[in-house]
Amino acid sequence: MERSFAKEVKQLRLGQGETFHGEGILAVTKALLQSGVSYVGGYQGAPISHLMDVLVDAEELLSELGVHLETSTSEAAAAAMLGASINYPLRGAVTWKSTVGTNVASDALSNLSSAGVRGGALIVLGEDYGEGSSILQERTHAFATKSQIWLLDPRPDLETIVHMVEHGFALSEHSNTPVMLELRIRACHVHGSFNTSDNKTGRFNKNRVIEEPDHDFSRITLPPSTYAQEKHKIDVRMPEAIRYIRDNQLNDHFDGDIEDVGIICQGGLYNAALRALVQAGLADAGGNSRIPILALNVTYPLVPDEISNFCAGKSAVFMVEEGQPDYLEEAVNVILRKADLQTKVIGKGPLPMAGEYTAEVVLRGLSEFLNQTKPTGVDLAAATSPIRDLDQYKAKAAELLGDLLPARPPTFCTGCPERPLFSAIRILEKELGPTHVSCDIGCHTFSTLPPFNLGNTVLGYGLGLSSAAGVAPSFGKRVISIMGDGGFWHNGVTNGIGSALFNKADGVLMVIKNGYTSATGWQFVPSTERPREGRSTGSSIEKVIKSMGARWLRNVPNYRVGSVMKTLRQALTGKGKGLRVIVADSECQLARQRRIRPEIAARLQNGQRDVRTRFGIDDEICTGDRACIRLSGCPSLSIKANPDPLRDDPVTTVLDSCVGCGLCGEVSHAAVLCPSFYKVDIVRNPNLWDRINDGLHRRLLGDAAKAPI
Amino acid sequence: MTEATPEATSTAGTDTRPIGVLIAAMGGEGGGVLRQWLVDAAMAHGFAVQSTSIPGVAQRTGATTYYVEIQPTKDGGEQARPVMSLYPLAGSVDIMVASELIESARAMQNGFVTPNCTTLIASTHRVYAVAERTAMGDGRFDGERVVKAAENLAQQSILFDMEAMAKEHGSVINSVLLGAIAGTNRLPIPPEGFEAAIRDTGRAVEANLNAFRAGFAAVERGDPAALIPDSDLKRPWRPDPPMVEQLQYRVREEFPGPARAILREGVNRLFEYQNKGYAELYLQRLTRIDRAERDAGGHGDLVREAGRYLSLWMSYEDVIRVAQAKLRPERQARVRAEVGAKPGEPVRIREYLKPGLDEATALLPGWMARPILAAADKAGLRDRLNIGMTITSTALWGHFLLRLLSSLRPLRPMGHRYHSEQLLIDQWIGNIATAASLDLGLAAEVAACQRLLKGYGQTQRHGWDSFSGIMATLATPALQGDMSPAAAGQAIALARDAALADPEGAALQSVLETEKTSDLAAE
Repeated sequence: MERSFAKEVKQLRLGQGETFHGEGILAVTKALLQSGVSYVGGYQGAPISHLMDVLVDAEELLSELGVHLETSTSEAAAAAMLGASINYPLRGAVTWKSTVGTNVASDALSNLSSAGVRGGALIVLGEDYGEGSSILQERTHAFATKSQIWLLDPRPDLETIVHMVEHGFALSEHSNTPVMLELRIRACHVHGSFNTSDNKTGRFNKNRVIEEPDHDFSRITLPPSTYAQEKHKIDVRMPEAIRYIRDNQLNDHFDGDIEDVGIICQGGLYNAALRALVQAGLADAGGNSRIPILALNVTYPLVPDEISNFCAGKSAVFMVEEGQPDYLEEAVNVILRKADLQTKVIGKGPLPMAGEYTAEVVLRGLSEFLNQTKPTGVDLAAATSPIRDLDQYKAKAAELLGDLLPARPPTFCTGCPERPLFSAIRILEKELGPTHVSCDIGCHTFSTLPPFNLGNTVLGYGLGLSSAAGVAPSFGKRVISIMGDGGFWHNGVTNGIGSALFNKADGVLMVIKNGYTSATGWQFVPSTERPREGRSTGSSIEKVIKSMGARWLRNVPNYRVGSVMKTLRQALTGKGKGLRVIVADSECQLARQRRIRPEIAARLQNGQRDVRTRFGIDDEICTGDRACIRLSGCPSLSIKANPDPLRDDPVTTVLDSCVGCGLCGEVSHAAVLCPSFYKVDIVRNPNLWDRINDGLHRRLLGDAAKAPI
Repeated sequence: MTEATPEATSTAGTDTRPIGVLIAAMGGEGGGVLRQWLVDAAMAHGFAVQSTSIPGVAQRTGATTYYVEIQPTKDGGEQARPVMSLYPLAGSVDIMVASELIESARAMQNGFVTPNCTTLIASTHRVYAVAERTAMGDGRFDGERVVKAAENLAQQSILFDMEAMAKEHGSVINSVLLGAIAGTNRLPIPPEGFEAAIRDTGRAVEANLNAFRAGFAAVERGDPAALIPDSDLKRPWRPDPPMVEQLQYRVREEFPGPARAILREGVNRLFEYQNKGYAELYLQRLTRIDRAERDAGGHGDLVREAGRYLSLWMSYEDVIRVAQAKLRPERQARVRAEVGAKPGEPVRIREYLKPGLDEATALLPGWMARPILAAADKAGLRDRLNIGMTITSTALWGHFLLRLLSSLRPLRPMGHRYHSEQLLIDQWIGNIATAASLDLGLAAEVAACQRLLKGYGQTQRHGWDSFSGIMATLATPALQGDMSPAAAGQAIALARDAALADPEGAALQSVLETEKTSDLAAE
């Protein structure tokens, strides 16, 4: 990618007794090295991208430590790497965004967990749930329980997170079971500090290789081994895991003076729960709570006697478990039933079944819990007043602000090469009528948002074309499928194109090629043409598609809306059945700007000539119908107060952030809009010819020349 | 800006709870930099600090937030490090920072601005949301409301245009925001601490420091919440061109006071658009309205509004006017300023024009134009026959091409568009006059319908459909006495908003349908 992480890499070298300052996900990365991993793999995605990005820049350190880094092309590929730990005492870690990534990986995960591991196998999962999430809302917990993979959900401070990574490997080896470490978005990006220890090297690694292959049929997932493996999970691995968790006190128990109630929470929600208690006047900021708390840094498996001991003698416990179904609440109820304890478990109800547990949600739930249980020694009125005040403030705000605030959904960046493609589709709709558009995952998913509102389905990464297979034959028009180059290499090439050609599908596929997986932070893909650290093969998407037997293949220059429309029209209306593939090839503008800005600055520094292009609008000619904005939505295409003393409605304007991609001009032509757009080339550090030429024209052009320069 | 109460500033030092700083920003602004400055400054001064953010797709220009907690008491070993929240909790956000006005409103809506503890620091500039930008009329959210809410909800509110201040110093808004934060003294960190943090990042240090200091000073000075009203952003009235004195004299003598300023502008505009006779026609039409209004006991509000809309309609957009506007001597300077071209930097301006059948036939006599357009409509080519051109108006031939177009002005009155427009205008003026005799409110609404006639080509014809639809369904019945004037007036206002609500005119259709049905019910 275009960004360098040299600064972060330094932190990975810290040794015994030093202090790390940085993001949660980087603390995990450091913890992996402190745990002596021999291999790391993964697939980028918020919120764990940085784990991979930083290691990519840490080539030197990794080779010193003999660690192999695999920037896998999908989560399935990453998960399969853990196979190394089945036969050999190799510690390994893989990472991706959950739950979508876990879906992709689950084939390998099921086989892995059935076979069991000798070397510690850790799966670092970025739980992309709640505010800022870019995916469907589900829990990883279900995967853990169905495959018997242990699940860690540490308290979100760096000390605890690192501690749990290190214990994770030990737990994995002790119980021959892979372990998941679940981190929520905010925990991945939390900035804190912890005391580091030296990095370790694994017993075997790139520098100290394994000599003997290990063949052990009992580790192959074929009957009868599979039956033995399932028994082994229940009879040996689970009890061993529970023993390890108990003996090493992986879960945190905080005492408090109030006796008849307690709080059981996922480790990851401990800070939110405590802040709610502080606000309710039941705890101090230092973490001393009057209500006892059991923070589960391990949410699967639970330690039955730990739960029952905590609940014994309490009339009720407040269960703070985010997401649904309420697996933990159910499990705790079963444990108490078996222990014949009458303690009420109150969670969902006062707390909502669905949605993120922000501090406010937890405070609201806590107040309700206190109202229901009325614990002795708690001043109810005082404890529940904060939430009452808050509701008043919100009501006041609603009253003062009146109408709904305009939402601010994400959209394509200024100058994004993907925008013109959807402008073209929108304009073409006027002529051919709308058709079904099968979208994919990536920045291009923003086409489904205003102002384009284009796209009917999103089924998963790289599945844009596959998800059209069912609807296309039964649809009156040829359907359009979208796929990014990220999705193409992730699995679109096989699941999409391979399947479509094999089944003689009739339809249009638009492959949007911008050279990066931009939505996850500009990681390179196999077809990236700017290789760095030899991490790009320059594999050609066009060649692959051709070699698979696609006959209709065209390249289009994204910004030429006219020619994109022409090609699209041919593809949509052309005679004869078959898959029509349009490859739209133009570099991600954000990455491009990041690359060229310093270059331009340098050029200007040394007085070299540079031409800056920007667009503008004549506010005297613009009548403010906004057709241009509805067909582009470019952040730089905005509105301003109308300077005409006779008009009140605002006029359209181009902001400084314009990068001169030319889309507005193209659209105003392609859609026949108003003549108010103009393009300006500003020659910086003009050479002699520029000056002569300019002077000459201004002299010849009479009144225009009177304009001061 | 309201003054900080003494408790407000003192609590920061003694409160055991960490100080919560919530930053509302938009993806792409680099709010992470501001977060980092705060963290670095706090760390450098030995305060326990934690920050978190929610990147992801929100980065792409969407609304996003960063949250920072700083323990105001010195970190004396592990025990002193508090358990910090990853979530801002309404009621315990001490400093709410918003990089844009509506984002501060969003924060208030979510309860993050509370009188018990919140200092609100927000820039009053606007970055318009998609919904505001795509509205055909004026979809902007009323900023005054936000300012009022801020002053009611915040313990202390600091609102000014920080974007402008940042530009002034060649820096970014983050620097000004940091300066404002430092200026409030809510954090136990001296300004030097923040300046050091800015230096450590090593990028654009001088510019950022200047912007930081400006923001700091602005808080100390206590700048007022400044929202610039649209009226302050208007261009000055045109100076009277030669040969219109006599017309301007008529404006002053014959028309009521409230209308004069607008009518004067109208006269000058139409003189430039066509000629003196055309400007005379303008006043002649308004005389009719004026008389009707006086008879109805009005005081010039109607003739003022009619005068505004009439001058806009009479100077309808055609190639000639576009060429005229593109050739204005002062234009190049305006363009240079807008794109920030420095003195001595040559600019090349390329105009995107796509004259189509409508524009081409506009100048032909009706007996020629009408059949051509009819044929084109029949063949569905009305919007397909056009030539896309980019004319370099700063180059010789481009400039003279525009000259040529603007020189066609004398031919305009012979064109069929001119004739059809004049007919429609007279009809409309007639309707306003008649409406005035029934109800001045109705007349004003009929006049205001001119707002719907905007754009070019398809959009323009679309606006015309909305206009005539409203006239036929609401105005005419009222004028014929089949509908109460007052009711019709309100209905027209509603219909107009509906017409501006969506470009496809779906909203308007439904409104008009309901009107029709209700009429039937009435009969």
